[in-house]
Amino acid sequence: MSLNYFEEEEFKTQFNGQTLRRILALTRPHWRWVVGFLITIALVSGLDSVFTYLSKLIIDNGILAQNRSELYRLLVIYGSLGFVQASGVFCFIYLAGVLGERVRYDLRQKMFNHLQGLSLSYFSRTPVGWIMSRVTSDSERVADLVTWGLLDVTWGMMNIITAMGFMLFINWKLALIVLGILPILFYIAYQFRKRILGEFRNVRKLNSKITGSFNENITGVRVVKALCREDANLEEFKVLTGDMYRSSYRAAWLSALFLPSVQLVSAIALATIVWYGGWQVQVGSMTVGGIQAFVAYVTFMMWPIQDLARVFAEMQHSIASGERIFSMIDAVPDVKDLPGAYDPGTIQGDIEFDNVTFYYDEGDKKPVLENFSLYVKRGETIALVGETGGGKTTIVNLICRFYEPKKGSIRIGGKDYREYSLHAIQSRIGMVLQTPHLFSGTIRENIRYGRLDATDEEIIEAAKLAGAHDFIVKLKKRYDEEVGEGGNLLSVGQKQLISLARAVLAKPEVFIMDEATSSVDTLTEALIQRGMETMMKGRTSFVIAHRLSTIKRADRILVIEQGKIAEMGSHAELLRKRGKYYSLYTKQFRHQMEQDLDPFSQPEQIATTA
Amino acid sequence: MTVSNAVLNYDLKRAVHPNRLIGLWRLMRGFRKLYIAATLSLGISAVAKTLTYLLLRYFVDDFLVAGSAALTLPMIALGFILLATAEGGFSFLSGKLAAQTAEGITRRLRNYLFDHIQRLTFTYHSRMETGELIQRSTSDVDALRRFFADQAIGIGRIILLFVINFIALLQLNVKLGLISVVVVPVIVVISLFFFRKISKAYEDYQTQDAILSTTLQENLTGIRVVKAFARQEYEIGKFERNNWEKFLRGKKLLKMHSLFWPISDTICNLQILVGYLIGALMAINGEITVGTFLAYAGLIVWIIFPMRNLGRLIVQTSTGMVSYNRVMDIIRQDRESLETGKHRPKSDILGKIEFDQVGFVYDDGNVALEDISFSCEPGQVVALLGSTGSGKTTLVNLLPRFYEYTSGRILLDDIELKRYPRLFLRQQIGIVEQEPFLFSRTIRENITYGVGREVPQAEVEAAAKAAAIHDIILTFEKGYNTLVGEKGVTLSGGQKQRVAIARTLLKNPRILILDDSTSAVDTETEAEIREALQNLMKGRTTFVIAHRIQSIMDADLILVLDKGRIVQRGKHADLLRQDGIYRQIYEIQTRIDDELEKEIASVA
Repeated sequence: MSLNYFEEEEFKTQFNGQTLRRILALTRPHWRWVVGFLITIALVSGLDSVFTYLSKLIIDNGILAQNRSELYRLLVIYGSLGFVQASGVFCFIYLAGVLGERVRYDLRQKMFNHLQGLSLSYFSRTPVGWIMSRVTSDSERVADLVTWGLLDVTWGMMNIITAMGFMLFINWKLALIVLGILPILFYIAYQFRKRILGEFRNVRKLNSKITGSFNENITGVRVVKALCREDANLEEFKVLTGDMYRSSYRAAWLSALFLPSVQLVSAIALATIVWYGGWQVQVGSMTVGGIQAFVAYVTFMMWPIQDLARVFAEMQHSIASGERIFSMIDAVPDVKDLPGAYDPGTIQGDIEFDNVTFYYDEGDKKPVLENFSLYVKRGETIALVGETGGGKTTIVNLICRFYEPKKGSIRIGGKDYREYSLHAIQSRIGMVLQTPHLFSGTIRENIRYGRLDATDEEIIEAAKLAGAHDFIVKLKKRYDEEVGEGGNLLSVGQKQLISLARAVLAKPEVFIMDEATSSVDTLTEALIQRGMETMMKGRTSFVIAHRLSTIKRADRILVIEQGKIAEMGSHAELLRKRGKYYSLYTKQFRHQMEQDLDPFSQPEQIATTA
Repeated sequence: MTVSNAVLNYDLKRAVHPNRLIGLWRLMRGFRKLYIAATLSLGISAVAKTLTYLLLRYFVDDFLVAGSAALTLPMIALGFILLATAEGGFSFLSGKLAAQTAEGITRRLRNYLFDHIQRLTFTYHSRMETGELIQRSTSDVDALRRFFADQAIGIGRIILLFVINFIALLQLNVKLGLISVVVVPVIVVISLFFFRKISKAYEDYQTQDAILSTTLQENLTGIRVVKAFARQEYEIGKFERNNWEKFLRGKKLLKMHSLFWPISDTICNLQILVGYLIGALMAINGEITVGTFLAYAGLIVWIIFPMRNLGRLIVQTSTGMVSYNRVMDIIRQDRESLETGKHRPKSDILGKIEFDQVGFVYDDGNVALEDISFSCEPGQVVALLGSTGSGKTTLVNLLPRFYEYTSGRILLDDIELKRYPRLFLRQQIGIVEQEPFLFSRTIRENITYGVGREVPQAEVEAAAKAAAIHDIILTFEKGYNTLVGEKGVTLSGGQKQRVAIARTLLKNPRILILDDSTSAVDTETEAEIREALQNLMKGRTTFVIAHRIQSIMDADLILVLDKGRIVQRGKHADLLRQDGIYRQIYEIQTRIDDELEKEIASVA
């Protein structure tokens, strides 16, 4: 997928019938609602024409005929139909509106559920923002199509048809004249809308540019001030707002011109009616009420006509949105259960990488891992060290089966792990990420994420084991303290401790930790170390290690370089070798000591933060 | 029609007023005539519409029924067309003028805000959240635009329609006219009631929408955690709950709408029906003519139905009012003047600096700097060492007058700093930050950003070469025309820093401020940056904010800061002889080597 694909371009797709059918199919479970609002809108629209006709009757048969009882009768009919129409209005707004909300709900849920099943590879190549707008704005547009879009079309058609019908009924010759004017009105309406929509598109583009300018100038205000760019920036900005002024002004006056033009054309039509009708009245074939009705019908028909181009443009947008949504829903996960995949009940056995080759993209020149073999005995702790980009994270990703080997295989307990179900593997792995990710909610909820049926006592127990308990109880609401969006109300160290507690609670069979590089104070560091020790005891563990103490404690250290094991052995063995590990270790040693000893460094004091 | 510069440059600070309506009126300064003209056109258009119905009456009564019209049929037809033209023409004119007013006011407001914000003080910017400022400059300004474009005109339109048509109705028949407006207050009250509720329900809906978005975003950014704990089902459940809640709130919102429209429809229709009945009876009794009845039937619609929108517009106006406050909060702030200051040397400064018992206290009373005294000659290097919050950054921020020192004095070339205009000072000072801010423009534009003139490509390249970034730029497909940021290349911290160095080299300042905490940069680029910095520092008075001793050993003066005070001062050699933090830091290095020795010996 190219980068351009993710840009929010203006879709100018042709009317795609297949997508349209798929969009319409979304309403199938709720077809009664669709039928309901279509019928009621047709009723409401039809009644509008009836009312006009009733007015004609009131004039002709009531007033002009001086027939009071007929007048009462007509007004009663008028009134009761008014109630019918009002309930119709209630129904179509309610039915279409609620259906719209429902379709949005369905679509969002469908997309979300599908996303949960997609592989990590999808998320690494698709920007979060792109997915977000599919789920939020595109679902709105699609839902609008199947509700208000359908409604507008039905309403407009009913309006024109019934109005024409009544006109033909009242006076067919005159009705034909009106029919002759219709195409002209259509044409004018279309031309206008096209231009207006074009300007609005410009306005939208300029609007996002203006927002961008504000954004940059505010976030970069230091540089602006330091480089004395104020005047130049204002000049540039003025060009933008000037363009914005012209575009929105143009859009506005085009819109303002639109209605009068249509009205003028209809006025000419009206004059024709008066001319022709007036003459006919004189010869007695057309009534006063009839003329009034004609005038009303012609005016009525203007509304759907002027709306037509807008509805059409919005439909195109919705279809484009639909296409993007379906492209996401149709995405197939790379990693999924093979037929017959089963849960072995445990994954505690030895783990073996057998000649594994892996690359993220088909196009990559060099694989991230190449013919990688490794045998890890049950309960062993493996430390992975080496430069960024060497392949450490990839190894971990493969163990978790976020990805699968392209060549070779990974065996757990002697069997290719592809024979097992994904859930069997992933639910038994505990993972602590380098940048801990928490979810909005309380601390308790975040720890419970590790095991959903855990009791409060178990949660506290896990927090104690992870060393998080001490700082938690110092918080005002203790375990019920909100962590904020993404956990941003907590410090990095606190988040690490909580994510450790979460992993402890999960009682995984395999433990994976990507150690954080950022420094925390010594006390917190000790707490984290202790928590990790608890986790590693008796569990097969893989640690992408940065801290010296962690590295030293491992049973085996792997120096990973360019997708291969460059060195392997215990801390002492490797140090004696004076090779790559030696230089890595001494560098890391200096760095860590410098940080630890620096009198200026003031790492956060987790235990004391209130 | 173009707007004059006087109108465009009107100081919006004068639109700050405790009464929001007056404030909004003042915001319209320079556009009021347009606005009044727009309203007048609207009135004329409404009159034309009313006249159309009166002409209809004449046509029916005098021409059709009585057959005694003085006007011929073509003349009447022409009358209809003329009235329609007038109605359409003036309605167009009104729309055009209203757009000019609203868009013009908005344009001026945007420009003013943009400029105002970039000229507000540092103190203000560090206090305000970026997102908040951006939101006020965009969505709140847009709410104000809608106020001027829709609500201000819309309310005027409804009132005009009412007044004109009501007068016409009274002309037709006083009794009929009075009966026809009985329901108007009811309609207004009901629509106010509903739209208050609707706007509340809408807010709830939006809140839930934000919650749902957060849930989604957290799920997407934390997808590894979700997968690692196999929590897909749980996540689906969580999303479903929030999703369902949004559905419920949407339903509630729709219930309001689906009730309001038919209820108000029914009330309006009842009124019209009653009007029809009475009118028809009067027509039958001969109290009014058929034509009068027809005109009445046409006019009454234009009185009753627009009233439904009055409530909506009034409720929306309150949104505009809130936005007015939020925008004016920014405009109310004082700018820092770039021009005040009497001392403007014709040539560049030399760069001799003296701090004399300088202190700085924040607005909230926090002391940031106290009793800072030192001096340096042109071209010398002053290094500042200290922990985060020790006052290093605040100290250098005093030089370009980002902050104003609150006690003591700073002399630049023996003249008090406050006597130099800020603009002049800042032109003389260059700043390279640790993680510099680059703009989403091309690399070339970023390098020439601070230079107020056309820069030949050769000069740009020379600066880039001296900053050791030229070769890297050439590896990009579009070279110097490569866009920086989301839509172009992402530069590493070290690369950004070197672009900033090139930017500063081109600016060629006399005084340099360097944030030299190269902690995040790996060793290879550190050497390159160091070289680039050496090029930059040549012949300029330089202030270095340092974290490590290695980079400042050659400084002419080293100041060790702690809690806003100078605790140690001198050259490297002097400081080593003293007992204190400086020596402590220095000795760490040797201690590390010793310990490493021991460590390795232990395994051998």
